[in-house]
Amino acid sequence: MKPTGLWVALLLCAGRLGAQGVVIAPHAVFIDARTRSGAVLLYNPNAEPAEVAISFFYGYPATDSAGRIVVRTVERPDSTSSSAAGWIQAFPRRLTVPPLERQTIRLLATPPAGLVDGEYWARLVISAKGGQLPVTGVADTAKVKVGLTLEVRTIIGVFYRKGAVHTGVTVSGLRTAVVGDSLAVWARLTQQGNAAYIGSVHAALVDSTGRTLGEMKAPIGVYYTMEPRYALSIGALAPGRYRLRFDLSTGREDLAPELVLPSPPVRDSVEVRVP
Amino acid sequence: MTARRARAGLLLLGLLVPRPGLSQGVGGSVGIDANVIGQALTVTTLSNLNFGSVPKGIATTVQPTAAGAGAWQIQGTKNADVSIGFVLPTLLINVQALPGSTIPLSFGATSGRWNRATNNVAGATAFNPSAGTTAKLGPTANPYLYLWIGGTVSPAATAKPGVYTGTIIVTIAYL
Repeated sequence: MKPTGLWVALLLCAGRLGAQGVVIAPHAVFIDARTRSGAVLLYNPNAEPAEVAISFFYGYPATDSAGRIVVRTVERPDSTSSSAAGWIQAFPRRLTVPPLERQTIRLLATPPAGLVDGEYWARLVISAKGGQLPVTGVADTAKVKVGLTLEVRTIIGVFYRKGAVHTGVTVSGLRTAVVGDSLAVWARLTQQGNAAYIGSVHAALVDSTGRTLGEMKAPIGVYYTMEPRYALSIGALAPGRYRLRFDLSTGREDLAPELVLPSPPVRDSVEVRVP
Repeated sequence: MTARRARAGLLLLGLLVPRPGLSQGVGGSVGIDANVIGQALTVTTLSNLNFGSVPKGIATTVQPTAAGAGAWQIQGTKNADVSIGFVLPTLLINVQALPGSTIPLSFGATSGRWNRATNNVAGATAFNPSAGTTAKLGPTANPYLYLWIGGTVSPAATAKPGVYTGTIIVTIAYL
């Protein structure tokens, strides 16, 4: 997109909503053990001040029994876990972001002595409360007035890296099933090395000539082991044999390349039979 | 890389363009310093869940498809998965009466809706807000996710008059 077009898009986007919310950037913070610090930018684009509170917990993406990716929270991580939640602090932890202004949250890590090389994780919670519902009385005594305020908690990942860090992923148990006009895909993904596998997953269904009939691509983070379920829109397939190609790579369009740990692509495939 | 940083800087400038009285959405990358470059994530409350004036002694429901439903817009990385959870109040408090004056609030298995990319509740997917769900942001042109929530209030016939309020907390976790 040309810069002019980008400006137009931004301004169109800017004028569309009469609403509340804060802009948070980035959506993942990487802290190096040499600097032990990081930052998150908050921007309040609204006419009302936003009250913001910052906190941490230990959690990581995992999958539930249906293959949906969820954040698994560990309230009391043991000493062998990769939790950094107990030793990363935010400054300030409470603040008010005035209208049309930005604030920087500084993150400072104070890891325990003797921390072994590797990557440690925490989740940063940014709670933002905007304007309140107007409180006005009700003239009719047979009625009451009811309204609820909405508060937003945004959770992003924090990664602390010490020493030599490396990552990888293995794929096993790749399988599929045709469900209506979609192809459901399951795979067991296991993280390797001492850092989370942050990358992208790509799946494509091809016919015998190599023609792609359906595909999907999504960002993924593998912290331990997970079994995600994906769905490819494939329409009505003629009976026959097809192949599902499944690959993972560490390319991420939303993260700066220097922040993503490289790892060789991992590929697998499985035959898909449509009766 | 130079072009990338230039675009990030441009977006940051765009982010800071003052537009008093209006909310601003943001797309693309925002640069802060060398250690934290990445795309912005914005969760915007479009409307609060508003039942308006409701009669005593009769349960009143606001459907997630109704004008009074609570609504959010999430903007972030295209095709990204996010986990959605709620902290839902079970009682609303009368802010004009003596303490202890409350009415119950409940949510059904289809009180939540989400839609990828488009702000259209009619085509949205239903979910149980008590259980939460996982959803996906839209593709390149529309990296958005929209959420709606409705509910039911059941004021007793003896409920004290006044304004009853509470807070719904929505949690959006970037996966």
